[in-house]
Amino acid sequence: MKRLVMLLLAASCSAFAETSTNGISVSGFGTIGAARSDTDKAQFVRSNQAEGVADTAKIGLDSNLGLQASFEFNDVVSVTTQVLTRKSTSPSYTTELTLALVQVKIDDELNLRVGRMGLPTFLISDYQNVGYANTLMRPPVEMYSQTPMETANGVDFNYQHAFDSWNFTAQGLAGVSRGKLFRSGTSDTPTFRAPVVALALGAQVGFMTLRISHLVTNFTSKDNVGLNHIVTALENTGFAQLSSDMTLTPGKKIAFTAIGLTGKWLNIVVQSEYGQRRNKEQSPISDTDAWYSMVGYRVGNMLPYYSHADFKGVGSSVPLPANFATNALSSAVRGVLASAAQSSDALGVRWDFARSVALKVQVDRIKPTVKSGTLIDGPPAGLRGTVTVVGATLDFVF
Amino acid sequence: MNKLICAMIAIAFASATPLSAAETVVIVSQRSPLTRMFPLQAAQFFLGQSALFTAIDQADNSPIRAEFYLKAADMDAGQVKAIWAKLVFTGKARPPKQYASSAEVKRAVAADPKAIGYIEKSDVDDTVKVILTLH
Repeated sequence: MKRLVMLLLAASCSAFAETSTNGISVSGFGTIGAARSDTDKAQFVRSNQAEGVADTAKIGLDSNLGLQASFEFNDVVSVTTQVLTRKSTSPSYTTELTLALVQVKIDDELNLRVGRMGLPTFLISDYQNVGYANTLMRPPVEMYSQTPMETANGVDFNYQHAFDSWNFTAQGLAGVSRGKLFRSGTSDTPTFRAPVVALALGAQVGFMTLRISHLVTNFTSKDNVGLNHIVTALENTGFAQLSSDMTLTPGKKIAFTAIGLTGKWLNIVVQSEYGQRRNKEQSPISDTDAWYSMVGYRVGNMLPYYSHADFKGVGSSVPLPANFATNALSSAVRGVLASAAQSSDALGVRWDFARSVALKVQVDRIKPTVKSGTLIDGPPAGLRGTVTVVGATLDFVF
Repeated sequence: MNKLICAMIAIAFASATPLSAAETVVIVSQRSPLTRMFPLQAAQFFLGQSALFTAIDQADNSPIRAEFYLKAADMDAGQVKAIWAKLVFTGKARPPKQYASSAEVKRAVAADPKAIGYIEKSDVDDTVKVILTLH
């Protein structure tokens, strides 16, 4: 009897990431966090985020909640839906549909999916909001702010093949990404529509994965009020070519290419990535390069880590005409074409102190060099100097 | 508070049923073509790296589960959970089905030529085939 009671109690303690009844699984992930910086001159934000942190502590920067339900019809067909609540392009919490897909298992190595899914743009793009699945407190903003595209409606395949002690993976995706663009210093939040084609290839040996990815999009934004003003003004002042270079209606072809390494070897944990954004035709979006490198060393259930990241513009695809005078319009054009730049260092620790819960503490030292870097609401001339951001989060899955 | 109770129960269990001396073996069905495997190869089926064989897992908080992942992949429960969080919440894969005891794992493995599981060596009988002993 005593044993039975213990067994029942032990069973009720099971906190696994899925509860399954009749093929239906309900699970979730989330982060509760607080962060602040040491300046009131600009706000530190995540990629495409409308409200970040300045010199008072706030919970909106990192806190989120994802709920997922999936249903297995049989061994071949399943459906998955996921909603994510967080502060994104609006200063208040919003909930968006991040997964809504049907998965068909073709054989042991190949899966096809149809519906809404995460984009594989960079190494951690499709799980960047799952704090528990990551070592770093937040995706390095230098890399991940290169694109506002997170999900797409479309189709993809995932192929997995083992060869000797190697595992090879391939993911190919075609779809249309839609979303909003937060624009610092303006009240409008234009929408975008971006047909995408992407391919990601991975090679894994032991617990180290090397991954390369390439994504091409035709990026369109019709209701971009600020940009459309410039485009119209250029057309009205006789700069027809520049006007068509600067518009995002019709869309412009942009490519993202990345190579990344992630995994563990003995007690050493690494995650390192280089990624670039390149215009394939004249567009107002600048070409950029970004990279980061994180290394950690596991001691029991503690994982202290250090990361360095860098992001800079590498030019514009738009040639300015020789007779382009210096006036308000030309400085507006130059302002749009110039990319921000910054580097940062992060020092942190992840502590897996309880089942399904991890505590992270991270200090970031951010050095904006052009246009306040990735910070928003900075001074007109751009913020210089070092900004320190301190954060603590609890990441959990259930 | 819950965690504390769980920890106390776990300790009570550990002292009631000493398992430390037991060896863990990786098993497949007698009908499986497999004869032997390295620890890392076995681990890949339990960590979503390959679906060529169907992993049959032990209960989440069982001592044998902790021991298996530690010996086969040098990972604790948190690391395993983080890997599955990445696969589950991208909608790409679902974790292995869990069974409450070695007897149930053995039954599930015996019934499926594509299944792979792990149990205590002392629980092995002729319905399954041992392809790896974890030390």
